[in-house]
Amino acid sequence: MRMRTARTAGVLVLLTAVVMCAASAQVSLQEFERALYSIPASNPEFLLSTIELGMTQEDFPAEQLLGLIERLAEHPGEPFEKDAVLNVLAHALEVGLPIEGLVNKAFEGLARRIPLHQLESWLSQRMVLLAETRDLLYSKGIFSAPSRAPQTVPTAIPMPRFNLLLIHMSEAIGDFLEGGGSPFDGHVLYQEVYNRLTMLQGVTLVPDDVQLVLERIEPSDLTQVALAAVS
Amino acid sequence: MKHDDLDVLLQDTLRAEVAAASDRIIDLEERVVMELGDRRPRLRWFQWLGQLAAPTRATRWGQIAVVGATAAVFLFLGLTLSDRIAPNTPAPQLSLQRLGTADGMQSVLFVWPAPLEAESVAVVGNFNAWEGTDLSDPDGDGIWTAQIPLAPGRYEYAFVVDGKWQGHDPRADEVIQSFGQYSSVRYIGRGGDDA
Amino acid sequence: MYRVQDEVSLLRASLQGETGAWGEIVSRYKDAVFGLCLGFMRNRADAEDISHDAFIRAYINLRKYDLERRFSTWLFTIAANLCRNQLRYRKNHPSTEQPLQMAGGTDPAKLVSAEDRQAKVRGALNQLPYSYRAPLVLRFYNELPYQEISEILSIPEGTVKTRIHRGKAMLKDLLEEGA
Repeated sequence: MRMRTARTAGVLVLLTAVVMCAASAQVSLQEFERALYSIPASNPEFLLSTIELGMTQEDFPAEQLLGLIERLAEHPGEPFEKDAVLNVLAHALEVGLPIEGLVNKAFEGLARRIPLHQLESWLSQRMVLLAETRDLLYSKGIFSAPSRAPQTVPTAIPMPRFNLLLIHMSEAIGDFLEGGGSPFDGHVLYQEVYNRLTMLQGVTLVPDDVQLVLERIEPSDLTQVALAAVS
Repeated sequence: MKHDDLDVLLQDTLRAEVAAASDRIIDLEERVVMELGDRRPRLRWFQWLGQLAAPTRATRWGQIAVVGATAAVFLFLGLTLSDRIAPNTPAPQLSLQRLGTADGMQSVLFVWPAPLEAESVAVVGNFNAWEGTDLSDPDGDGIWTAQIPLAPGRYEYAFVVDGKWQGHDPRADEVIQSFGQYSSVRYIGRGGDDA
Repeated sequence: MYRVQDEVSLLRASLQGETGAWGEIVSRYKDAVFGLCLGFMRNRADAEDISHDAFIRAYINLRKYDLERRFSTWLFTIAANLCRNQLRYRKNHPSTEQPLQMAGGTDPAKLVSAEDRQAKVRGALNQLPYSYRAPLVLRFYNELPYQEISEILSIPEGTVKTRIHRGKAMLKDLLEEGA
């Protein structure tokens, strides 16, 4: 019985994956509009405009975001609370931050039945971390550049690669703080970021990018980022 | 040191440990009640029947008989079914397996040893948008497994055993806190160290 | 609301699906169960998780409990089994949490030596094998008779006595080594 369930689930997962692959990149603004309507979102225009902005990002996780809005619609809770969760993502898109990590954490929060207002404040903190980490990279002369643009600065990393670095750095800091770490433990914090980046070096992160970051950041830089997130 | 002194010291130490960590269980009753929600103690039909028939010690014999009969039926079913299932299902190994496929995907084995009475085990994580992928336990030994194709990367996950989240996979590369609960982490695709 | 009720009434109410009654049971037994888990696991996060898990499991399986038996023995057995399972699968995997150490607590100078001795006992308990530590915890924290310890750990009563005796001797050696 269990075997059959497992097999059926496996086939379903495969089918879903195939369908999603076929449909990827074809998620339209209308689909987002419909999904937002089903919540119902109180400010769909604002959300749609930021989603449209996000769609210009090369690594915009369109299907995941659509899936999240649909799951939020089914989730128990007040529409205004769901709005608040989506607003965090909208603000991130507004300032050009990658939302993949936030979307994933939102899925996890919903699955864990975290109260929506807590989920919102949790995501806000993670968004601040993303923004602060990006500022840190910028201040160290590490920039992102559209993939196809000619590379003018040697430390300009193509956007998707830059975003992945950014997500992993800020998540390592966030996980450290959530595990009870103190922002003032700069060296431990640095070690966490170092571990995360080197574990993924050559896997999803480009070794040169990792080395560039590790050469330029210092423990005290990370303390500043962490403090901004907890204050 | 006399043994009596040791008794007292041991008792004081154990009590002090609990007192120092008491903040961990300050709202335990609320958390338990909240998690239970509308759940009720699992019904055991033979207990109901037994109680109706004879609400005394005699019930125990009835229970033993029914348990025995049920066990026999399950044993029979298990033996019959395992014969049918076995040819198609190679025995899962208790380690993180890597079977290379095209485009860098790897078939990753997830294993969770659950109590024998567990009815469902699933794995949730950032590879399935935190929606469960069922594990299976065809031979009924309590070792539940699933193989999931994953691209190289970092994955956060937890097991869900009869609705209860278990974030502490002994086979994980890391365990982190997420939303105040545990999540396990695996790195897939590093040169052989996750095999 | 439930405080005036006796245990059997609370358990009967729990069986009817009254989770509030179960909440009262949890608050009566949480120190005992948590202390058992903490003593067995030597790790606060695990002790917390397992205590929580034990109360959930006990509730779900409450119909398996025979009201004529001692409830605490049944509950402790569930918790002890969960600890043993966790330790078994943890064997080759070091915990993410430091073994039990204590921060804070009482600090008057005159207590220093007592605290110092307790710290040594904690260290020694961390080193003691589980099979010796478990009966010691049940005996000295939960204050249970040998017969109940034997039921909870599923080992003969004679073995319980031997292990407690040997466990204490081992502790004594460890303490003298470190002194």
